Amino acid sequence: MTVLRDYVATLSQPPLPGGAPEVQRHDEVVGPDGSLRPAWRGLAETAVALTAADLRRVDGDITSLLADDGVTRTLPGGRVEPWRLDPVPLVVDAESWAPLEVGLAQRAELLNALLVDLYGEQRLLAEGVVPAPVVLAHPGFTRVVARASAVDPRPLLLTATDLGRDHDGAWRVLGDRAQAPSGLGWAVENRRVVSRVLPELYRRAGLHRAEPYLWALRSALLQSAPADLADPRVVVLTPGTHSETAYDQAFLASALGFPLVHGSDLVVRDGWLWMKVVGRLERVDVVLRRVDAAWSDPLELRGDSRLGVAGLAEAVRRGRVRVVNGLGAGVLENPGLLPYLPAACEVLLGEQLRLPSVPTWWCGDPAGRAHVLDHLDALDVRTIDGRPRPAGESRVALRERVLAEPHLFVGQERLPLSQAPTWGETGRASGAATPRPVTLRTFTLRYGAAYRPLVGGLATVVDPRSPASKDVWVLKANAGDPDQGLADVLPTTSARAVDVVVPRILEDMFWVGRYAERAEDLLRLLLATHALAEDFRTRPRTAGGTSLGVLLDALAGLAGRRHDDLDAELRSLLLDADRPGSAAHALAGLRDALSGVRDQLSPDVWRAVGSTDRAAAALVASHHSHQVAESAGRMLTAVLSLQGVTASMMRDAGWHAVGAGRSLERALQVHHLLASTTTVRRGLDADRQVLDAVLAVAESAVTHRRRYRGYVRPGGVVELLLLDADNPRSVRACLADLRQHLAALPASTGSTRPERLVADLERDLAAADVASLVAIGGADRPHLARFLEAGSTNLQRLADAVAELHLASGPGPRALHSVALVELGPGERS
Amino acid sequence: MRYRVAHTTTYGYDAPVADSVGVGHLRPRALPWQHVESTEVRVTPEPLDLGHDSDYYGNAVTYFQVVEPHTELVVEATSVVDVHPPAYDDAGLARPWERARPLAEPHAPGAWAVTDFALASALVDHEATARDYAAASLAPGRPLGEAVLDLVARVNRDFDYDATATTVTSTVADTLARRAGVCQDFAHLTLACLRSHGVAARYVSGYLATEPAPGRSRVVGADASHAWVAVWVPGSETWLMVDPTNDQVVADRHVTVAWGRDYADVPPVKGVIFTEAATSTLRVSVDVSPLDREEPCP
Repeated sequence: MTVLRDYVATLSQPPLPGGAPEVQRHDEVVGPDGSLRPAWRGLAETAVALTAADLRRVDGDITSLLADDGVTRTLPGGRVEPWRLDPVPLVVDAESWAPLEVGLAQRAELLNALLVDLYGEQRLLAEGVVPAPVVLAHPGFTRVVARASAVDPRPLLLTATDLGRDHDGAWRVLGDRAQAPSGLGWAVENRRVVSRVLPELYRRAGLHRAEPYLWALRSALLQSAPADLADPRVVVLTPGTHSETAYDQAFLASALGFPLVHGSDLVVRDGWLWMKVVGRLERVDVVLRRVDAAWSDPLELRGDSRLGVAGLAEAVRRGRVRVVNGLGAGVLENPGLLPYLPAACEVLLGEQLRLPSVPTWWCGDPAGRAHVLDHLDALDVRTIDGRPRPAGESRVALRERVLAEPHLFVGQERLPLSQAPTWGETGRASGAATPRPVTLRTFTLRYGAAYRPLVGGLATVVDPRSPASKDVWVLKANAGDPDQGLADVLPTTSARAVDVVVPRILEDMFWVGRYAERAEDLLRLLLATHALAEDFRTRPRTAGGTSLGVLLDALAGLAGRRHDDLDAELRSLLLDADRPGSAAHALAGLRDALSGVRDQLSPDVWRAVGSTDRAAAALVASHHSHQVAESAGRMLTAVLSLQGVTASMMRDAGWHAVGAGRSLERALQVHHLLASTTTVRRGLDADRQVLDAVLAVAESAVTHRRRYRGYVRPGGVVELLLLDADNPRSVRACLADLRQHLAALPASTGSTRPERLVADLERDLAAADVASLVAIGGADRPHLARFLEAGSTNLQRLADAVAELHLASGPGPRALHSVALVELGPGERS
Repeated sequence: MRYRVAHTTTYGYDAPVADSVGVGHLRPRALPWQHVESTEVRVTPEPLDLGHDSDYYGNAVTYFQVVEPHTELVVEATSVVDVHPPAYDDAGLARPWERARPLAEPHAPGAWAVTDFALASALVDHEATARDYAAASLAPGRPLGEAVLDLVARVNRDFDYDATATTVTSTVADTLARRAGVCQDFAHLTLACLRSHGVAARYVSGYLATEPAPGRSRVVGADASHAWVAVWVPGSETWLMVDPTNDQVVADRHVTVAWGRDYADVPPVKGVIFTEAATSTLRVSVDVSPLDREEPCP
């Protein structure tokens, strides 16, 4: 039997006595008579034939493809987890899609007209079509753009609509996402993955491809520039890598070919918006905003925001930049509006509302309030601004809150939602698809003069234990229909490459280099330590035991010491990302820096990140000591593969920033390694073993063997790791690389402080003499210790100077009153 | 009365500021009872950008940006205004206060337009203690004017004027707990009292002409900016303006600059600076000098 046949058979069985499901749901695949729905009939041969083994394979492939592409979602609180995609798509045939499409287009037109009225004439409020408190008590109503001077006839460019089905199968709107709709990136990524793992099914289905919709979005953004500009600059404004939808934002920016920028990358000057490209300002004409309006301008909106641009509201009011969606669009994310949309549609469009919302009552209206209070248990009662209900709130407490401020509450019917076969945890365990409720997020874009819904969408499996998304397939009525019904839109081949370098991007690139190098060096040190431990952990009084102690001290010099047990300590260094100085910390820093420049780098970097995650998971799962070396080795391989990615980067400022970070970090790490291993003498045998380990850690053992024929002496090691210009691992070679990378950065002149500091360091190395460096003074090598200490200090100074000259975008914005304030003279207030 | 108002705000920093961008509510509103003869805002150093606009509430708002590095920023507003005692609607004031609740009577003429001033706002929440405090003045059916004047008199009597008891971030609850504050706190408290009972009322920012003590001459710059409250009088175009700090009905000694839901809508000057500076100083000087009706502006 195949998975879908089993699914059909299970649904067709009469429920066991007393076991009838409490809600009757529309099934997406099986009709009430037990036959396949029209959309699935055409897929019968390929889809219905899939066995449990097939779906297991497909599910596994999806997981690894998503991991390789680094597809994530960020949970509130900042934890990043893999994006989940169910292998069974939600399939809709052309005939049932058509009315939904018309309804969505009408809804977007209505919402746009609603925004225009609310921020302009306010006729709907004056005539009581929409009660004034619904709008005015909603935090999304943005008064700074509700001015006669700020008229925007088209504030809504892209909107998302969440839908669910009633038990009769009719779609109903659950809510609108207009502030900064997310999910389009994930939807396109889902399609990309499904088309790769189910190629035959995908080809046969004859569905609308999603890419042309991105081309249309790109074109719509370019055309929305305020004036008729030949080559407008569009940016995607992100709140940063800790945003819940960071992946979605970076994917979109990258797919559209627009730079992904932070608020600190932008500045308002003379009423225009500019991007702080290194060395100059470049005007920005359109902002695709993923920062909520309240956080977009610390001058006129939330003063504590670090995510926005001071003066943005003024630039918008003057019509000098178009922000998409308009700063006022958040007022539409308001369930209090839902009961009034049918009337508003009649007034604004002169049409009947086609797509009904889930039945909703606004408590500010006496009749609505009475209905909600009479049905407190049956309805979903929530505030119009979407704040979650306090956990464990009693009915009495809720009733009191509603009565105290009724205008802030709505009651909504709970839709049964439709169900669709879902693989998930149950499928992995039992090999059967189970019915799970789903919702559908659709996207609607104003393209040219009309609103065009995406023919497709992003479906969500509503299952708190195993949430997942589903790809949405809308089948074409005729195979020859143009994708997305957009015959005229041009592919994005002409997309201008993202060639701008803002200081923040250089900073992330620099840290990509530093963390990658740091992770590599720490992993090598850890592997060398573990290798010694294999032989000497039980023999502390031998020379080998002493050497092991030296390497452990070298690790402790970077990360401190947390566990007496050696394996526990090494595990912690590989797994505890919150432990500064650990390999795990460096890897986490690397991931963070990579996320900040996701749109600038090949997606291959995420394959490497995925490998380190899998190596960490394997270590967690196994308690054997050899797994420490195994996982560390796999992490090292993954980090090394990043070199391959940077090797094929354009030789632009970003590449040089990575290189500068890498060279600088390597020089620092060599200093630390030598300082913690070679400056104290511990007896011939122990010293020899330590030096062998040092050469292994510095990846110079082979070179040393060739050059010194096996005699490991401090002089040779110091020569090779500090002074030998031909050894790419030597400090001297690092400084030469660093000099070249710095010279290529835009702010360099040949005489800047970082360039001067590198020259000083190179001069000191050139003047150094191995024999006197390794000269013995008692049990120590005092000259070497002093030389390394001075070198480390100067390298740290250099790192600061690089940050100040190349990476800083100037002081951040602060509210006038937030600078420690002393009031003088007569107070401002009486 | 005719006044020349000079309001100077001076910020000093211990390190240069590369970029200051600001917004000011400094130009008095033109009103039926207030004629604005002239008004000017000057920013030093010379701003790159200086623009005037009218905000959501119809207030004059000034936007400026200074990009010349500076350690001192001066914003000077100078206006000449002619203020007459406003006309109040006795019939409206005699109606029960319950009629002034736009959410309870949404279909009353004009109610929708004043809804904003009955809702909770950033600095004026519907504090339960304020509601309880106000209940004594808002007896059922009591005429609106009488109820408001009683409330204002009680606030004036029960709360001490004390600039040390308060900061710009003081909340209504703080004021109620400390039984002390300054004009802004008394205005916010009065608004919370009225709005928590559903009455629409707005925050008014402006100046009060002070009279020198008998036998003393006026001290230039000793005045200050001031805040009071205007209560919606349904069925008329007028609002009852009351000054809880001085227990007065506003006549011709109050110069109206701007109004909104609370102080946060209409601060005289607010801004964002880009600097490494750690400390700043703020000096505010306000001078309201009476002019003779015919005297030309100096």
